Amino acid sequence: MSEILNTLMQDSRIWRGRRPVHSPQPAEPTGHQVLDNHLDGIGWPRGALSECLLDSPGIGELHLLLPLMHRLSHTDKKIFWLNPPNIPYAPALLRKGVNLDQVIIVHADTKNDFLWTLENCLRSSVTGLVMAWPGRLAPRDTRRLQLAAEAGNNLCVLFRERCYAQQHSSAALRLELEPGEHQELNVSVLRRRGSWAGQHCSLSMANRAGLSVYEVSHVIQGPWPALAR
Amino acid sequence: MLWLYLHFPHLLLDHIRRSRADVGALVIIENSGQIVLQACPKARDYGVYAGMRLKTAINLVPELGIVRSDHQQEARVLEEQARWLYRYAAHIILVAPDGLLAEVSSLQRLYGGLSAVWQAVKQALGEHQLTAWPGFGYTPLAARLIARTGKGECTSDKGRLFCALGQISLPDAEFDARTCTRLQRLGLNTLKEVFDLPAAELARRLSPETLSYVQKIQGTRADPRLPWQPPHYFRQQVDFIPEVEKSQGLLFPLQRILSELEQDLCWRQQSTDSLLLVLSHRNQEPTRLRIRSSGPEHRAHLFLDLISLRFEQHILQAPVTSLALTVRRFLEREPSAGRDLLGGHQDPDEAWHTLISRLQSRLGESAVQQLSPQADHRPEKAWSAFQVQGKSQPTTVSGQLSLRPMWLLKGPQPLLEPPKAWFTGPERISGGWWDGHRVQRDYYIAQLNSGQLAWVFRDVRDGWFIHGWFG
Repeated sequence: MSEILNTLMQDSRIWRGRRPVHSPQPAEPTGHQVLDNHLDGIGWPRGALSECLLDSPGIGELHLLLPLMHRLSHTDKKIFWLNPPNIPYAPALLRKGVNLDQVIIVHADTKNDFLWTLENCLRSSVTGLVMAWPGRLAPRDTRRLQLAAEAGNNLCVLFRERCYAQQHSSAALRLELEPGEHQELNVSVLRRRGSWAGQHCSLSMANRAGLSVYEVSHVIQGPWPALAR
Repeated sequence: MLWLYLHFPHLLLDHIRRSRADVGALVIIENSGQIVLQACPKARDYGVYAGMRLKTAINLVPELGIVRSDHQQEARVLEEQARWLYRYAAHIILVAPDGLLAEVSSLQRLYGGLSAVWQAVKQALGEHQLTAWPGFGYTPLAARLIARTGKGECTSDKGRLFCALGQISLPDAEFDARTCTRLQRLGLNTLKEVFDLPAAELARRLSPETLSYVQKIQGTRADPRLPWQPPHYFRQQVDFIPEVEKSQGLLFPLQRILSELEQDLCWRQQSTDSLLLVLSHRNQEPTRLRIRSSGPEHRAHLFLDLISLRFEQHILQAPVTSLALTVRRFLEREPSAGRDLLGGHQDPDEAWHTLISRLQSRLGESAVQQLSPQADHRPEKAWSAFQVQGKSQPTTVSGQLSLRPMWLLKGPQPLLEPPKAWFTGPERISGGWWDGHRVQRDYYIAQLNSGQLAWVFRDVRDGWFIHGWFG
């Protein structure tokens, strides 16, 4: 029996799922062990788009990228923030060890300017990482960005709303982010290159506010007399 | 000393014609607007000639392009020619309005003979699409007179030059009208005959000024002239007849100016990082565009790239009558460290400057920022954004940094619902009494019902606000 199976296994016409095709695709580890394991140790793909789909800021989405930012900011690569929805707070970045000299904030007013800027950043050799908040994107635009990322072999992470999860996108990695009960971040892999999607994992992000997991049960009774009623 | 005189018979015409590929018939008219002074070959084909009345010329060619002669403009154009000639000859004298004088005897050894000097200058004239009549002579005036006849030849032979000089008729020798008449009444017609007169008689019968003029031509009297020094800036202007309505049409002449700038910078071994582009309009204030690159640069195609990006954003307010490019800021070239001999890798510094210059010229300079922390306790003042400069100064951190959210809101937003859970707090931040932006707040970290971790505060007046997200 096993002999037959072995013969079958060696037949190149047999395709086996659940087994990552180890193509030498360049990538950067995410720095979160759990997530890295789920992504088969590949992490953020280089020369391709990644998407993080989330509804609202403040659920730990920046901390997901923080190990990468930290690592890249100490090389000579630049980190671009394109149209961030709020102000990236310099003291907090500095506290986390990010080298601010390598952080560039760019504001583009119109859609065309935005795409043009993103494309230019992606094609440049000084870029390490581009984080962009594009909002609505046509499939044609994502394709254009994908080509730019390939040309520059750069990392690009787009932060978009969760309603775009159903929309077609040419991103190589799509992660859906949801907040958990105890300040953790639930990540579901919607799509990734070279293997099946559908993994879920939960990353502990409580330390982003200086809270340990232990503290969570000791909730301070808030000074909330007026608004509680 | 041997001099080369370049006479530009229609300098202004050449200047205007080379700025555009498609130019119709053009004439230069005198300031009062009646008489045609210069006509381009195309106009001459239609039968227009210098000295014709303007009305006749317009009847011949209804679509005639007309340029009024302007002394200032002529002087400027002449100086532009002196700029490139300076690369070939050190001692240059401007002879307004249409001549350049260069001392060439000292150049013969460098170039290897007079004809080589002339070949080099002739090639440069061709590159600049200019018509010039050359003249050689042992005095500035002799060179000028020979050049203006249009029959100058490349020779340093004294006898031949003297012979050519002698054949020049008196009006061509630029005697004033009264002297000319008096000499002709004496039965003299060419310079040679004037040269043969005894000097004392010439001074007594005519005037000492005439004698001194003749002696200056001959070289027996000193004729000191002020040499021209190239200015310490670069300026080029293009005038358009007819006016240019689309910014794309400006790129063609700009390409030529920028490549001249590149040559100029290469020649000085310098770079620049800011260009001033002035577009003049007929009835409007000129448009001034400042083009900056974030690092020192000298290559024409990169500047052209930045300018075309600017033009995409900047819509022309009115048709452009002339365009001037000025560079006043020159930087010493730095050897690029990252490049190897074969040039396989792009210098990271250079790639960085290129990217930032492109972003800044399309989005505006304030759209590209860097962050730095500030020493202030108030959260909204504890950071600042500054424009990206060529060299970034390292940020210094002093003291312990306290826990802060990664996102700061642009302004505090009211907290509309009670949070689900409260964590650390309160942290009191009080300050600003010294500058009028007083702040007294108690900050807490709280989790909202949506799962977001927020940085909330209660201010003195008991209002609750969100000030940041722990992203």
